Amino acid sequence: MFSGLKDRLQAARNRLGGSIGAAATAQAPAGQPDGAATPAPAGPSLTDKVKFLIIDRELVVSEKDVADALGELEMTLLESDVALPVTDAIIADVRKSLVGKHRKIGESVDALVVGALKSALLNVLGKGFDLPAYIRARERPVKILFTGVNGTGKTTTVAKIGAYLKKEGFSVVIGAGDTFRAGAIEQIGVHAERLGIKVIEHQTGADPSAVLFDTVQYALAHKTDVVLADTAGRFHTKANLMSQLDKIRRVMKPDLIVYVDEAVAGNDAVVRAAEFDKTVGADAIVLTKADMDSRGGAAISIAHTIGKPLLFLGTGQAYEDIVPFDPDAVVEELLGSGSL
Amino acid sequence: MMDSLSDSLKDALKKLAGKAVVDRAAVDELVKNLQRALLSADVNVKLVMELSKAVRTRSLDEELPKNTNVREHVLRIVYQELVRLVYATADLKLEPQVILMAGLQGSGKTTTTAKIARFFQKKGMKVGVICADTFRPGAYGQLSTLCEKINIPCFGDPKATDARKITQEGLVALKDLEVLIVDTQGRHALEPDLIQEIIDLNKITKATHRWLVIDAALGQQASEQAKRFHEAIGIDGVIITKMDGTAKGGGAISAVAETKSGIVFIGAGETIENLERFDANGFISRLLGMGDLQALMEKARESQMGEELDMEAMMKGRSTLRDMYKQLEALNKMGPLKQIMNMLPMGNMNLPEGVYDVTSTKMVRYRIIMDSMTPKELDDPSIINSSRMQRIARGAGGAPEEVRELLKYYKMMHKTLKGLKGMGSGGKFNMQRLMKRFSGMQ
Repeated sequence: MFSGLKDRLQAARNRLGGSIGAAATAQAPAGQPDGAATPAPAGPSLTDKVKFLIIDRELVVSEKDVADALGELEMTLLESDVALPVTDAIIADVRKSLVGKHRKIGESVDALVVGALKSALLNVLGKGFDLPAYIRARERPVKILFTGVNGTGKTTTVAKIGAYLKKEGFSVVIGAGDTFRAGAIEQIGVHAERLGIKVIEHQTGADPSAVLFDTVQYALAHKTDVVLADTAGRFHTKANLMSQLDKIRRVMKPDLIVYVDEAVAGNDAVVRAAEFDKTVGADAIVLTKADMDSRGGAAISIAHTIGKPLLFLGTGQAYEDIVPFDPDAVVEELLGSGSL
Repeated sequence: MMDSLSDSLKDALKKLAGKAVVDRAAVDELVKNLQRALLSADVNVKLVMELSKAVRTRSLDEELPKNTNVREHVLRIVYQELVRLVYATADLKLEPQVILMAGLQGSGKTTTTAKIARFFQKKGMKVGVICADTFRPGAYGQLSTLCEKINIPCFGDPKATDARKITQEGLVALKDLEVLIVDTQGRHALEPDLIQEIIDLNKITKATHRWLVIDAALGQQASEQAKRFHEAIGIDGVIITKMDGTAKGGGAISAVAETKSGIVFIGAGETIENLERFDANGFISRLLGMGDLQALMEKARESQMGEELDMEAMMKGRSTLRDMYKQLEALNKMGPLKQIMNMLPMGNMNLPEGVYDVTSTKMVRYRIIMDSMTPKELDDPSIINSSRMQRIARGAGGAPEEVRELLKYYKMMHKTLKGLKGMGSGGKFNMQRLMKRFSGMQ
């Protein structure tokens, strides 16, 4: 997964390391005679000075040293679907942590670069989210509402998470809250039947708030652990549909609002994630269709924009194709830990 | 976000305005802003680099056409280069044909299938659809529900598991119809079995068209996916869906470039009628987050051809309300006044922000008032007395004061134009004077 981004980031890392290394070798010989010629004034003793120059000598990374390589990193991120403002933020982050940094001669360039990139990415991706642990800690039923624009894979994700939670030993009920799209109730119904999960459904065109309210009532009566509430896809630009979602939120009072988007989305991912977060809120993110995408930029973009943890990645069409997201592991994999 | 981008693009353009020679630094800045605008619209990074390189070289190398300022010159190049990317029109004939829909999961194939069926139905063709999506639960239910609403036969079976077989059966069952649309399961390039399936479906249906459905929000993946689909079945048209959101659809440009085809339709809405033929100008304007570039182009072309023609006639002295009406109408066609003012070869003339808005709403009112005048009144405004004024005001749903104001405006314009008659200098100066008077009136 994300192998494309991984390759590119590795290349960028080499480039950055390379240019800093080159700058270092260019500076080093010039610095030596210079230092030796300086007579020792009052203050630090000559031995101290020599020790500083030879052993602890630091190199200052200048903006010029990394400009080219950062330009390349910028292209890498853009090509990987990291949205423009997010790319800018990451580049600024890396630049800040590299430029002006004093590097000891003994310290490897690689470590410096990897450290900067790693912390920039981890900054953006935040911490993961352990759903089973969250559910265990909460009062039952734990109500999870799924939101997102059209065609991102909400219904499939609901089915997959249902299957995942069932395997973790929780009892699950699904609310068929997409009463708009033709065939949607049928779609979630078939999934649930295959998985042996109860579905609460009304007719097409019914008020989704009512369906989901009934689902919560069912869960209370049957002491079900988790309520998964599917909703119709909607664009953040449609005020009436967004207020419908707000009503759903008021009626079912979800513990967790999960925003679903696709890994292949480009710059718009940022715009709509921010809009959804603003109008109905989002506590966690699920990114679908990660198997189509070897780049993974949307993960970085969305996480950076709304600052919420990534819950799962959807990686295929089967029910088990869902992977809990672990930022440390992903960053580790992207950048690798091997030496140059 | 996008607004700030288009603002910086406009700022960069402004810096070019009023310059007599192409300024390298200004062009560089423009190109940089153009790159950012296109990148945040999800256009493929490589395409953006190629395009900006072409814009840069052409802006610096090509000779500045006569009567064009640097800004128009550069903007025209930007526009031409963008049009070159999207303008290959995908052909669409009203004749018997089979259309095979292809695309990624969740891009909107099923909804679009129904919309296209509706499109051909409205053109008087006999249409049928085949549901070859045997994977997604509810797919047949979705398509048949949509088709039922518009009375179009939908062939399929929710229990079917073999897409090839159901398609063959569908082709036989619906053979009397003229246009057949085959909806398929969503798939992506990294699923070899499904790619093989669509290759087979293409063979079975002997499809006339193979259209790729692309979500407007699709990012840099678009190129790669389009390429693989193109290799598999030879895509000859692209449909962009979900343009009613905030996505700019730049991914579709990448797809068009990759498949060397054109954009057939644009889907923008959840109801069955929300399908539009592709309009390059609107699309590019949205892409860059700027106003109507077409008008701008026309404007630029006009100034290349010579001085404003009607102006010429009017300056001969005889101008009637009719001429003014025509002028207002022409202005109206070009879009908001502010935009035109930005386009006009007046360089960096600055008018207070408010003036534009008041003026353009006023212009609309003036046109309405003139609409309720008789031909005679239009030809000779001097005959308008208070009873005529009453009648016109009532017809236009306004007060007589408004009519009086219009007449005052006409007189002022008449005077201005007459005053310009002797000067004979280019359009630049007289328009400037005109606007000065105009704004003085508010």
